[in-house]
Amino acid sequence: MNQEFSAEEYISQILERIEKVDDKINAFIIVDSNGALEKARLIDKKVRNGEHAKDVGSLAGVAIGIKDNICTKGLRTTCASKMLQDYVPPYDATVIKKLKDDGAIVVGKLNLDEFAMGSTTEFSMYGSTRNPWNTSYVPGGSSGGSGASVAASECAISLGSDTGGSVRCPASFCSVVGLKPTYGRVSRFGLISYANSLEQIGPIGKTVSDVVMVMNSISGMDNNDQTTVDGETPKYSLQSNGNIRVGLLKEMVEGADPEISKCVYSAMDLFSNLGCRCEETSMKSIEYALASYYTIAMAESSSNLARYDNIRYGFDLSPDNYECNAYFAKVRSNFGQEVKRRIITGSYVLSSGYYGKYYLKAQKVRAILKQEIVSLLKTFDVLIGPTMPVLPFKFGEKIDDPLKMYMIDIDTVVANLTGIPSISIPAGFSKNLPIGLQIMAGEFQEQILFNAALLFESSANVQRSPDL
Amino acid sequence: MVSRDEIKHLGWLSRLELTEEEISKYALQIEKIIGYLDKLDSISLSEIEPIRSKKNISELRKDRIQPFKGDPLLSSKYRKDGFIKGPRLS
Repeated sequence: MNQEFSAEEYISQILERIEKVDDKINAFIIVDSNGALEKARLIDKKVRNGEHAKDVGSLAGVAIGIKDNICTKGLRTTCASKMLQDYVPPYDATVIKKLKDDGAIVVGKLNLDEFAMGSTTEFSMYGSTRNPWNTSYVPGGSSGGSGASVAASECAISLGSDTGGSVRCPASFCSVVGLKPTYGRVSRFGLISYANSLEQIGPIGKTVSDVVMVMNSISGMDNNDQTTVDGETPKYSLQSNGNIRVGLLKEMVEGADPEISKCVYSAMDLFSNLGCRCEETSMKSIEYALASYYTIAMAESSSNLARYDNIRYGFDLSPDNYECNAYFAKVRSNFGQEVKRRIITGSYVLSSGYYGKYYLKAQKVRAILKQEIVSLLKTFDVLIGPTMPVLPFKFGEKIDDPLKMYMIDIDTVVANLTGIPSISIPAGFSKNLPIGLQIMAGEFQEQILFNAALLFESSANVQRSPDL
Repeated sequence: MVSRDEIKHLGWLSRLELTEEEISKYALQIEKIIGYLDKLDSISLSEIEPIRSKKNISELRKDRIQPFKGDPLLSSKYRKDGFIKGPRLS
């Protein structure tokens, strides 16, 4: 930041960009123009008054977009749902507080599948977000707004949340970088819960270094989230060296579109050429990951969404003259189709007589996956595969067949079930549509993940900015 | 087989008022989804302990009062004399 280029000028340009392209993309639910400009002027004032760079913050003036399931004080947070259409949080999520303390400027709230349930952003009450590379195609989901806004240069970086791939899927479909951190690395306080044993907030940026910069701001222990881990918060650095042991997960490439598999094999060749020791390897329990994931996610969603009774926050329907159960059933019928489907399926797998058949087994499969991944990560520093088994597809293609839609999460859910960090980085294009490479590492080994991603990124040089 | 009656009952347990059309649609779709989840039956799990949270005991923080600044009930629409109004209990 210097005085020749002010934060106010930069934020004004960002706002102009949003004005110009967001009609086509529909990434934003709310743009906070006044709030953002006010913050920018404050930073400019600090700089003019001669404050040191460290006092204005490591992210001073950087425009950030926030997925609309993360609470922002005084700024409506809707989860793209009628059930929260008027909800104005009285507090900031821990990640928001940290980003603001470091000088980042929240420019607005980003579109998502309702309550983060979906893989295409088609399940939003605000309409679908469109893929900036081809607006007839889905941008991925559920953090579709977070992926598309960064690709379309409507903000520098964004936050999403990743329960079964919801950061990495749109990162892959929009040719940007997206990270799901280790479970417990980033506070979930202020993230509106969907499946709390699986989800993490994660950053999206155009480059690995953007993502590292955000992680250095949002990581760390939080008294308000019991699952965050104690101990010193790491400072991640940008280093790339070729001394990495890379394992390619055979099951993931076998199940993918041939063009995508080809791209992942090329990525492995690139790692080899850069001095890494690469090998194909196998993870047999992957076959059961998706059934385990959907059992747990839906069970947790049915209990997490039980709180929406329209009394403390909600839309305008007077409770006068209603008996409570009738009132709750009536207002809750305003959840969208996918949310209702998951709540009911979740209630099914948790109902008496079925608990042992589904939920308990799913948790056991999770334990097997964990064992297998821990053992693989003794041999390899990182595991690679495709982020998504399919290329971005057209709107409406899978929306009427829930199971078909769920199947595309097959490669991303492994990291959520086992808690490990996973990143998606642009790896190439097929038919002018982006392909993402997924890299996974051991728990709390984000630094190794970044080293590998940076090494790949510096040699692969894949396009990040579509013409719009 | 997931019947329409089961969907109706689960809808009631989840406090979701469903239309006849939704009941029929969900019965078909959820049957397919559950059919897929039955894949969990095809793996031997009897020897396996289910995964547990890494923290074996609940950690409680010190019980210090931290007053909340702002209005926690900002978004509740029906309020009277500082209380929230809800539907009647019976």
